[in-house]
Amino acid sequence: MAAFELEARGVVKRYGALLANDHVDLAVERGEIHAVMGENGAGKSTLMSILYGLQRPDEGAVLLRGAEVHFRSALDAIAHGMGMVHQAFKLFNSLTVWENIVYAREPRRGPFVDRRAARQSVAALAERHRLNVDPDAVVTKLSVGVRQRIEILKALYREAQILILDEPTAVLTPQERDGLFEVMRHLAAGGRTILFVTHKLNEVMAVTDRVTVLRDGRVVDRMRTSETSPREIIRAMTGRSVNLKVDKAPARIGAPALEAVDLAIAAPGGKPTVDKVSFAVHAGEIVGIAGVAGNGQSELVEALVGLRPADGGSVKVAGRDVTAADVAERRAAGIAYIPEDRAAVGAALGANAADNLAMGFHRSAPIGHGALIDRKAMGAKARALIPKFGIKIAGERSLVGSLSGGNLQKVVAARELSHEAPALIAEQPTRGLDVGATEFIHSQLIAERDKGRAILMISAELSEILALSDRILVMYEGRILADVSAEEASEETLGLLMAGREPVAA
Amino acid sequence: MSARAADRDGRPRLRAPPAAVALLFAALVGGALILASGANPLLAYYQILVGSLGWGALPDTLNWATPLVGMTLVAAIPLRGGMINLGGDGQMVIGALVAAAVAVYLPAPGPIAAIVALIAAGIAAGLYAALAAWGETRHGIPMLISSLLMSYPAIGVVSYIVRFPLRDTTTGLPQTSMIPESARLPTIAGPLNVGLLIIVAVAALVVFVDRATIVGYELRLRGVNKRFAGYGGVRLDAQATRVMFASGAIAGLVGAIIVLGSQFRFIDETFLTPSYTWSGLMAALLAGGEPVGAIAAGVFFAALQTGGFAMQRETSIPRVLTLVLQSIVILFLAVRHSVGRRA
Repeated sequence: MAAFELEARGVVKRYGALLANDHVDLAVERGEIHAVMGENGAGKSTLMSILYGLQRPDEGAVLLRGAEVHFRSALDAIAHGMGMVHQAFKLFNSLTVWENIVYAREPRRGPFVDRRAARQSVAALAERHRLNVDPDAVVTKLSVGVRQRIEILKALYREAQILILDEPTAVLTPQERDGLFEVMRHLAAGGRTILFVTHKLNEVMAVTDRVTVLRDGRVVDRMRTSETSPREIIRAMTGRSVNLKVDKAPARIGAPALEAVDLAIAAPGGKPTVDKVSFAVHAGEIVGIAGVAGNGQSELVEALVGLRPADGGSVKVAGRDVTAADVAERRAAGIAYIPEDRAAVGAALGANAADNLAMGFHRSAPIGHGALIDRKAMGAKARALIPKFGIKIAGERSLVGSLSGGNLQKVVAARELSHEAPALIAEQPTRGLDVGATEFIHSQLIAERDKGRAILMISAELSEILALSDRILVMYEGRILADVSAEEASEETLGLLMAGREPVAA
Repeated sequence: MSARAADRDGRPRLRAPPAAVALLFAALVGGALILASGANPLLAYYQILVGSLGWGALPDTLNWATPLVGMTLVAAIPLRGGMINLGGDGQMVIGALVAAAVAVYLPAPGPIAAIVALIAAGIAAGLYAALAAWGETRHGIPMLISSLLMSYPAIGVVSYIVRFPLRDTTTGLPQTSMIPESARLPTIAGPLNVGLLIIVAVAALVVFVDRATIVGYELRLRGVNKRFAGYGGVRLDAQATRVMFASGAIAGLVGAIIVLGSQFRFIDETFLTPSYTWSGLMAALLAGGEPVGAIAAGVFFAALQTGGFAMQRETSIPRVLTLVLQSIVILFLAVRHSVGRRA
C-alpha cells in the first residue's frame, strides 16, 4: 500500500470531561483536496491544531508519508513541510508583500537582507503558482482576498507540501472565492496536498476530491465528493436531515419602521466610513445589506442603534426622529438589536443567563420597580425564554460563558426578540453557527417578519442574504451601490457590486 | 477549542475555594519565615489570634476595621464595575480636613456641626474623585492614573492648609484646633464610637444596592462586560462619574470619622501611615469587587493587623510579619488566577 501523504491514526484529545477528538482516523492522499467538515464543536479545529503541531494528542499518532512524527510546535510542523492559513491573518500590515513572505527566511548577502533576490524569488513564486500579487505593495492597502494569497505564498515559500486552509472563504467575495478555488486546484495538480476545513456545502462540492465528516469528535463518514450529495453530507454532519431552503410567504409590507436619511460617519483624514446613506425598512419585510466586511456596515449599524454619534443625517424609528437619542432611548423607541459580536458585545460571558436575558429590560416593569430590581421576575423571564428558544443550559443561574456559539446566539436572539420593538437589526446573525443553529435563527427571523416586524439584516454571507431578504442593499466603501429586490438579485450581480463594480446595464 | 470546553458539560470542577488555599499557603510560608528567624510560628499565630479576636482585643479590631472596611468599600465599588480608584488617600484627607474645619468653625450646635461635617466631607471628597472620572470620559485620561496622581496634590495642599491657615498656633505640631466635645462622634463603649455604626450602615447600603437595585445590576454587568452594558443602554460615562463620586464620598466619610471620632482634630501625616487605602484596595481585589467578600476580607485584614500589634508586644516578632502574610495571600491568589486562565 502506498503511504498516505498525511495520516492521523486513532487520535484522542480530551479537555477535562469533554472528548474533543475520539479516535479520529484521517487519511489524505498526495495531491488531493480533502475537506474536513463538521458542525461547531465537532472537533475540526482540535484535529487541525494537532496535525499542525499546536497541540499534542493524548493518544494516537500522526504519520507523514508513512513515518510517525511528533511535532513539538508549529515550527516543527513547518520544517516538515506543513503550512496553515488561519482565519485571522498573521501579517505585518505596514510592511510590503515580499517582506512578509520572506520574513525569518530572508535570502542574505553577508549580514544584510538581499532585497533584490528576495523580491525576485517572491515574484517568481507568485508567477509559478498563479497567485497574482505585487511584491512591493504594502499590506494595509490590499484587499482581504489578496492578503489571503500572501498567507498562501508564505507557506509555499517555506516549501509547504501540505496546506491546511481553515475556513478560508469566510471573508471573501464570491469572485475572490472562485479565484481561491482556482489556486487550490492548481496547487493540487502540482502535487501539493490541501486540507480544507469548512462548513459550507457548496464549496465542498465545488472544489474537493474527498470529504471526511466529524461529529461529536468522531469520524462519522468518509465520502468521495463525486459520489455524494449535499443532503448526504448534511445528514452525516447533523445526524438528521435539515431543510436547506428557507420557506417564506410573500412579504406583507407596512409602514416604514426604521429610516436612515443621509446618514454619514466621517473618517479622520480620509473617505467617510459611511457616506450619506439613506434607506427605509418597512414593517413586514427583511432588508438585507450585503457587502464584504469592513465597508462601513458595522459603523452604520452603530450609528443606527446609538452606539456611535453620526456626523450627519438622521435616524427615524417608527416615524420618530431619534437622532439625538442615546442607546436606551432608541431601544425604548423601538429598536431591538442582535449585534455582530455576540461574545464581546451581545452578552456578558461572566454573568448568568438571567442577567444576560434581563439587559435592556431591567429598568421597566416587571423587572424594574422604581430603583429596585425584582430578581424573581428576572428569573421568571429567563425560565420562560430558555425553553422557548431551546437554549441548552443547565439553568438560569448558569454562566453563559460556557455555552457554544449557537446557544449563546440563541440567548442573544431570545432577549432581542422578546423586545417587542417595531424594528430589529440583525448583524451577522448566523456567523460561525452550524447548520442546525443557522436553520433555527433563520426560521425565527422569518417568523418575526411575518408578525410584521421590520428587519434589517447585515450579512457577509451572500447565501443568507439571498435566502432571507425581500430587498437587498449592497454596501461598498461606505455607500449603498444598489437597492434590488430579491427576485432580481443573483450571486453574480451582487458579487460584482460587493467588489465595487457599478451594475452594467443588463 | 479553548479551555472553556472543559466545563461545557456544566459540571463545575472540584476545586478548593481559592481564598482558603491562598490563606493556607500564606500561613505555611509565613510560618517558615518565622521559623527561619528562630521563633515559634505556632506561638506567633496564637498571639495574632488572641490579640485580634480575643474578648479584650475585639474592640481594638473593630476600631481598626472601621476605616479599613470603609476604604475597602472605596476600592470595591468602582472595582465592581471594572474601574479602579487609586486616589483613596487624597480623597480621605480632603474629607478629614473638611470635617475638621466644619466642626471647629461652623457656628452651630455640636451634633448639627458633626452631621454637617460628615456630609460636607463626603461631598467634597466625592466631587474630587468624580473629577478623575470626568477626566477619563471627557479627555481620555485613564482613571487608574489620574485618580492616583490627583491624590498627591490633594495631600500636599491639605498639608499646607493644616500647617499655615488652619494651624493651631498654641501647639508646635502641624494640626488644627481641637473640635469642641459636643461635635465629636459619641462613644459606644471603650474605644468604639458611632463611626463604627456609620460604616456598618454604609456597608449594608452598598450590599443592598449591589444586590437589589438597578444601579447595582448595571454596575455589576459593566464589570463583567463594559461593551455589553453600553449595548444594553447603560449610560457609561454618567455611571463612571456617579460611581467615583460614591467611592470618593465614602473615602471622605472615613477621613471625617477618624477626625470626629478618634483624633478630634486634623493632625497632618497621621492618615496615611496606617495605609488603610492600600489594605482596602487589596481586600477589594481579593474579592474581585464583590462587596460581601470584600468587606469580609477587610475585616480579616483588620484582625490580622491588630493581631500583629499583639504579637509584637508578646513575642520578639515584628508586626511587619502580618503585612507580609497579607501580601502572600494576594500573591497566591494572583498566581492562581493567571494559571487558571492559561490552562
